[in-house]
Amino acid sequence: MKKLKNQGSNICFLVIVILLALAPILAGAGIIKSTSMVLFLGKCIAFAIVAIGLDLIWGYTGILSLGHGLYFCLGGYAMAMYLKLQETQGGITDFMQVGGLTELPLIWRPFQNIFVSMLMVFVVPGAAAGIIGYFIFKSRVKGVYFSIISQALTWAAYSMFIALSPYTNGNVGITEIKSLFGSIKGSGNIDNMMKVFYLALLLLVLAYASSKYLVDSKFGKLLIAIRDGENRTYFSGYKVSKFKTFIYVISAVFAGVAGAVFVNFNGSITPSQMTISYSITMVIWVAVGGRGTIIGAIIGAFLINLCEYNLSSGSLVDIWQYIIGAIFCITILFFKGGIVGLVKERISKVDRKTD
Amino acid sequence: MEQFVNALFNGLSLSSIILLTSLGLAITFGQMRVINMAHGEFVMVGAYMTYVVQNIVAVVVPPSMQGIYYILAIPVAFFTTFLLGSIMERFIISRLYGREIDSLLATWGISLILQQAARSIFGTQGVNVTVPSFLEGGITINGCTFSLNRIFIILLVLMCLLGMYLIMYRSGFGKQMRAVVQNRSMAQCMGINSRKVDNITFAIGSGMAGIAGCSVALLGSIDSTVGQSYIVNSFMAIVLGGVGKLAGTVLGSSIIGFSGIFAEQYTSATIAKAIVLLIVIVFLQKRPQGLFIVKSRSLDE
Amino acid sequence: MEKRYFKKIAACTLALFMAISLVACGDSSSAGSGKEDTVKVGLLHSLTGSMAISEKSVRDAEVLAIEEINKAGGVLGKQIVYVEEDGASEPSTFATKAEKLVDSEKVATVFGCWTSSSRKAVKSIFEDYNALLWYPVQYEGMEDSDNIVYTGAAPNQQIVPAIEYLIAQGYKKFFLIGSDYVFPRTANMIINAQVKEAGCEVVGEEYADMDQTDFASIISKIESAKPDVIINTLNGTGNVSFFKQMSEKNYTSKDYMTMSFSIAEEEVATIGSSILKGHMVSWNYYQTTATEKNKEFVAAYKEKFGKDRVTSDPAEAAYDAVYLWKEVCEKAGSFEVDDVLGAVRSGEISYEAPEGTVVINGDNQHLAKTVRIGEIGEDGLITEIYATNAPVDPDPYLKNYDWAVKAGIQPLE
Repeated sequence: MKKLKNQGSNICFLVIVILLALAPILAGAGIIKSTSMVLFLGKCIAFAIVAIGLDLIWGYTGILSLGHGLYFCLGGYAMAMYLKLQETQGGITDFMQVGGLTELPLIWRPFQNIFVSMLMVFVVPGAAAGIIGYFIFKSRVKGVYFSIISQALTWAAYSMFIALSPYTNGNVGITEIKSLFGSIKGSGNIDNMMKVFYLALLLLVLAYASSKYLVDSKFGKLLIAIRDGENRTYFSGYKVSKFKTFIYVISAVFAGVAGAVFVNFNGSITPSQMTISYSITMVIWVAVGGRGTIIGAIIGAFLINLCEYNLSSGSLVDIWQYIIGAIFCITILFFKGGIVGLVKERISKVDRKTD
Repeated sequence: MEQFVNALFNGLSLSSIILLTSLGLAITFGQMRVINMAHGEFVMVGAYMTYVVQNIVAVVVPPSMQGIYYILAIPVAFFTTFLLGSIMERFIISRLYGREIDSLLATWGISLILQQAARSIFGTQGVNVTVPSFLEGGITINGCTFSLNRIFIILLVLMCLLGMYLIMYRSGFGKQMRAVVQNRSMAQCMGINSRKVDNITFAIGSGMAGIAGCSVALLGSIDSTVGQSYIVNSFMAIVLGGVGKLAGTVLGSSIIGFSGIFAEQYTSATIAKAIVLLIVIVFLQKRPQGLFIVKSRSLDE
Repeated sequence: MEKRYFKKIAACTLALFMAISLVACGDSSSAGSGKEDTVKVGLLHSLTGSMAISEKSVRDAEVLAIEEINKAGGVLGKQIVYVEEDGASEPSTFATKAEKLVDSEKVATVFGCWTSSSRKAVKSIFEDYNALLWYPVQYEGMEDSDNIVYTGAAPNQQIVPAIEYLIAQGYKKFFLIGSDYVFPRTANMIINAQVKEAGCEVVGEEYADMDQTDFASIISKIESAKPDVIINTLNGTGNVSFFKQMSEKNYTSKDYMTMSFSIAEEEVATIGSSILKGHMVSWNYYQTTATEKNKEFVAAYKEKFGKDRVTSDPAEAAYDAVYLWKEVCEKAGSFEVDDVLGAVRSGEISYEAPEGTVVINGDNQHLAKTVRIGEIGEDGLITEIYATNAPVDPDPYLKNYDWAVKAGIQPLE
């Protein structure tokens, strides 16, 4: 029994994965009528991956980044640039033409190749985070200062993406792209949709497993030590800034991968995923699900997105923001551990009674 | 020369607006360490209050006297947001002391609610505030036009600054406030009602946002998202200046304001914004605690 | 003890909210699906976020048209039921919601979008699902899609005639100012080519940030460029700040004339007519447009949404979109997208709109529209000072304009 309890989060994750895995099959068999729900779940998988990444640095290491939208977008753009060039067969795009370019800019060239592009999904966000993290952590910027700086950084990057519109298509972003396996929308493309969906699910499982491994290892304990007493860890002889940079890079790579997954389902990427409000929303997924637990991040991402999906339509359009705002507020005020924390508390109470 | 004077004035004006929106934050964030993401929405409330007062005055007062609405709007906006801040502190912020990051997330939820409330009450379309007749237009000296409402805003900022200085450093309440910030338990032992002090401090900070809202209403659109345009710059000004120092906030706002205007002389507005933010970030690399540092021997500051 | 109590209440509220959220989808979709004599359509606009300022009036006009049609007996004998989705000013939300509407809700058609970014984000979705979108806003052109009907103006029905008019009036030096996004950039590309062809000069081109609140620098750039006329493609809140800050420098339309492409009656109300008096705009419709149909439209709009509300070009185009869809369905005799699109492409669909007769062009699925240059008056309304004699045929790629072809403004093959 006790063993089972320790496996709680794994079991929970298994249930989620099985439920997700069933969704496209049911859609394929015509039991779920709409494939759009599956596509939406696919986007949620992407959100769950970025939430895991955020949880690693916030829940475990205590660094709150309000700029993960940037890494999400970098990964997303890398993917989208490849997919867009597939559409144009390596030629220039319409927005480049409007911007006055006559041939494919240098920065776009590497994305003609699938292997380079896939590598870029990891490397670009990772490298960006590495550089930013190295400097910021070296100068020992901590706590809220880091949050505010990361927020400003994201805003600066957002402005640059808008300003460089011949290369990035400004705030329209890269649109009208298909997925890695071709079009996944409409009733004729269910096979493609399944491929993309299961690939995304596999990535989620990998993300979960690797981060579980990471936090259960000695390294994970060190992260928690940094969170709970940075100076003590420092005085114990650990180079805190190195560890922080490392986990920041990992988390950015997660965000980048999530962005790439997202693009496949969404069919476009825009800088609006890079805005501050979007980045804060990502943090709130983790907070609502339960910070400091990997499973919490996943649950939070799914739950909040499903809530928004259902609330912002029909008769509720005028009040849905009240409900979402209240959910955020109440969870953070009263349930620091989020939903997972609440469940844990319940279980331990029941335990105490039965003992 | 003309152009330079113009740019100087524009920089001064932009700095003063940033300073006005960040003064409230200087108290709530600087003194109380609460990251109030709903601060921008308090600015919005102040702007909407200006609109409400304008409409009420339009009914009561003869057309020739319309201008006085603005004089009335400033205290009304201050007290509305003061009250709102006080209520928010009582029910929400008071549970979040010592949890800076949680205060950020919870107030983000509040800001969503306030934005939607603005849409529900005033409609999604923006509303219009007419500039009062005594602030219309500008004075032209040697080819440089100095607009009256910008001069007014600069004066307003100076007055707010003076008021804040008097409250914080020259009044009994200010002493209590600083005492609570420096050492809460000691202050409580000395008989200071720290709950009450917290509440009033936060409310004053929010009230400053209301005044900022009045000035913002003169310059731009009044709609549910107006607060969002100011919030990031304000936080940057505080962090750049050094948390907890009034002089730091003034300097921080000026750096952001002036560099913004001067960068925009040479490049597009979007790039200028990015440049300013990057300058600030690089600067904070050198001095992570900001320009003015509150000296402390504590390790975990 | 008190704290515990609070926590319990909070937990209950939270659970309640979550429960509402997760089951809420039921109430909107079940409304119409059960009955045989109804047809479901989708409305997809931003009701929250920064674009809600503009999109609400368009959504209102669509609702008005739907209710009028229902009162008059519906379409093909069926009552219209509308499903509303909030795009939240965010292109990816638009994409998600568009999929939801066309695939889960199985709506017959969707009326929606405002920004180009939201339209571009949903374009391929409507194509992939073979669904139909009615897009009611003037836009930058350079696009056509088999699955979208554009009821707003193409560039040659708003921008090009306006510049022609200005050149004819003797304006020589143009200053282009716009928000930093695709419509102003494309519009300015067109204007640059057109102005150069006419032997006039563009003396400056500036882009403001989308949420820019301080225009002092841009205004001083305008001062030093000394243009005859400012071509303004700012949108939303930027317009308010720009004009307020122009007026605080004592500038009126006598000092700097402006020609705006995104200021309609709604915006005039938020900026203030005393500031905008005398400035020019270019649209296809004004609240003052003198047609019988328009009198009815304005009266109905004001009756439903309040006396102080004004009608505007995008609202009228949205209103037309719903009626045009009705006409198309009645011609096709069916709600099936393929039949409906067939009828659209016949090129024979016309409708007596508040702006005058509009005809759907079967080739590019835009409308033939009359172009009207207007001047903003003291009362906040816009009066027509020039209009084309006949509706102008839509030409989204400006293929029929030599200077545009010469300047290389054309789609990629």
